Amino acid sequence: MFLEVRNIEKSFGNFKALEDVSFGVREGSVFGLLGPNGAGKTTMIRIINRIIRADRGELLLSGKPITDEMVRSIGYLPEERGLYKKMRVGEQAIYLAQLKGLSRYEATSRLRFWFDKFEITDWWNRPVEQLSKGMQQKVQFIVTVLHEPHLLIFDEPFSGFDPVNATLLKNEILELRRKGATIILSTHNMASVEELCDDIALINSSHVVLSGSVNEIRRSYSRNLFEVVVDNGEVMQISPSRDEGANELLAELMKNHRIVSFKEILPSMNDIFVEKVLGKEAKQ
Amino acid sequence: MNNIPLVIRREYVTRVRKKSFWILTLIVPILLALVYAIPIYLALAPIEKTVVMVVDESGVFGGLDRDDEGRSDSRFNSTDEIEYRYAATLDYARRELDSDDGVTAIVYIRSRASEALPTDACLYYKRDLPPQQVRSDVDRQLQRTLRNRLLQAHGISDDEYAMITGTKINLRTQDLETGREAFTEVKTVLGLVLALLIYMAIFMFGSQVMRGVVEEKSNRIVEVIICSVKPFHLMMGKVIGIALVGLTQFMLWVLLTGVAVVGIQLSNSDIFSNATAKHEITEIATKGNEATLQLQNSADMADVPQLVEGIASIDFGVIVPVFFFFFVFGYLLYATLFAAAGAMSDTDTDTSIFSLPVTIPLLAVILLMPAMLEAPSGTLSQVLSIIPFTSPVAMMMRVPFGVPLWELWLSMALLIIAFPLCTWLAAKIYRTSILRYNILAKFRKK
Repeated sequence: MFLEVRNIEKSFGNFKALEDVSFGVREGSVFGLLGPNGAGKTTMIRIINRIIRADRGELLLSGKPITDEMVRSIGYLPEERGLYKKMRVGEQAIYLAQLKGLSRYEATSRLRFWFDKFEITDWWNRPVEQLSKGMQQKVQFIVTVLHEPHLLIFDEPFSGFDPVNATLLKNEILELRRKGATIILSTHNMASVEELCDDIALINSSHVVLSGSVNEIRRSYSRNLFEVVVDNGEVMQISPSRDEGANELLAELMKNHRIVSFKEILPSMNDIFVEKVLGKEAKQ
Repeated sequence: MNNIPLVIRREYVTRVRKKSFWILTLIVPILLALVYAIPIYLALAPIEKTVVMVVDESGVFGGLDRDDEGRSDSRFNSTDEIEYRYAATLDYARRELDSDDGVTAIVYIRSRASEALPTDACLYYKRDLPPQQVRSDVDRQLQRTLRNRLLQAHGISDDEYAMITGTKINLRTQDLETGREAFTEVKTVLGLVLALLIYMAIFMFGSQVMRGVVEEKSNRIVEVIICSVKPFHLMMGKVIGIALVGLTQFMLWVLLTGVAVVGIQLSNSDIFSNATAKHEITEIATKGNEATLQLQNSADMADVPQLVEGIASIDFGVIVPVFFFFFVFGYLLYATLFAAAGAMSDTDTDTSIFSLPVTIPLLAVILLMPAMLEAPSGTLSQVLSIIPFTSPVAMMMRVPFGVPLWELWLSMALLIIAFPLCTWLAAKIYRTSILRYNILAKFRKK
């Protein structure tokens, strides 16, 4: 495991924000940290970034406990993110990059590359307050990835993004993974979880209530439902009966129809999320 | 990973680059130079040639003499700037005042009922008050004539008179050890100005720290920065960066004001050399040397305004370093607390509530200032100038009057000790508050 979270606990006063939270993130994967608002995701991310300390538990990065020095190799895009409004865009990006340990020269040349890529070079000398929200988000993204971190943490990266920028961001995340980065994604956007994430952990009321690979989880929540499309264009949703499997069902169907497509309908992450969160609440 | 230098640099550069910084940097020395120059110019600047009508109904000042020759020693003597013109009646003089632009005033001495000497004279003017020189010249000439009359009547010679008046006792308020004169008024003003300057500086730069913290918080940029910079480093970087801005501004103020003042002195060098000379002579005289003679000479320099002599008597070699010390440490003490207040606020409006407890000691000193000025070395002044939270303002008020060294050192030492304690407390508040929102609302619920 690239990042291992073991039995983390954190309280704020009487409020338990995290209780016995454990999960692992594989190297080079996209990991989804899911959960409803107030579940403790941001607290978990802040603990990984060593912004706050856990009361108990262990955090291992490549097998070693995380130190402040290692945090430098993390790229973190917080949920609530901002920029100094009065500062010039380029200057500010250089400052934030320098805080991450890049030299002024290195930061400038890398920024030039990214600004060209995102087509915002013209804005280099403008004050941030003149930028549209979308452009500010591009700048924030660039600053997050500029020092080429091995571990990237995006907290609600899609919130407030228009579809064009959201797509751009998605593609960039996938490209970062292709280049070998490990990515933790905290999001409410379940469609993007299915699209991007390899594994997830679902946190609800300070506990991990579900974790594992996205495919396995969806399969384990299979409702044994199949979608069949036949040659006259008819779409059917059929569940095989208890004692027969998909093959028997298909054989039965083939007797009467010419099959165009046959596939299992897996529950969406959205359904699983809602079921898991509501189920937990129902139990309480 | 210590990013303090980067934070300091950003705080410094973004502020020093602002136009408002340079405007303030230029305006203050200009104002100070004007405050310094205007009274001197008003007191000493040569006036235009002017005419004063004299209506003397008493005859003591030569107003009833038949011909203009008369007894010259009792008449008003015209000078280079002021021409005295006699008129027989007030009506005539008034017409002159109305019609002639050169006439600025009428000296009117009422007729006497008996042989007694006149005790009242009136200087009439129209619209504009006659210049100070005119008023003092008229006064001087009136007194001189009257005095000569009395001296003659009693048969006292000029030499005898000089001897009598030369023996008067000159009471000075003076430091026993240094032999320096008190010049209480000038020192009160200076102490007041210095205390207010420290007060304003702490407030101004302290609230800059606070606004900076709130800006980072309400912008949410702090969320981005906090994973590369420890909260304590971020806070200290901001506090130190703004301290350097403040010091830069003060240095520029001192430098520019100094240049302006020296400029004023050079362009009026005769006046100022008189002032310094008189001050030196009086210092020697009070040390009991054979300077009585010189003291008499110095009476010739009576024109030198007290203000200038008072300023020349102040020990700026002590005041300037003490000012910088109390500015730096007073600011540091408060700035961290202002940072903590900022960290607890979500918006600029919240800050007024959270900064209130921080500002109370400062406001208290300002309110107690009149009482302290009554007795700059009294118990109240002593206590307030030693307690770290009030000492920067209170001590600056006392410094021009001279403060015992042990008190100064004690006050400085306590301030230096208080600074890390305050910072420790502020850092704790800052760290726990900077990523939390709605603290004010939670307070209100409780």
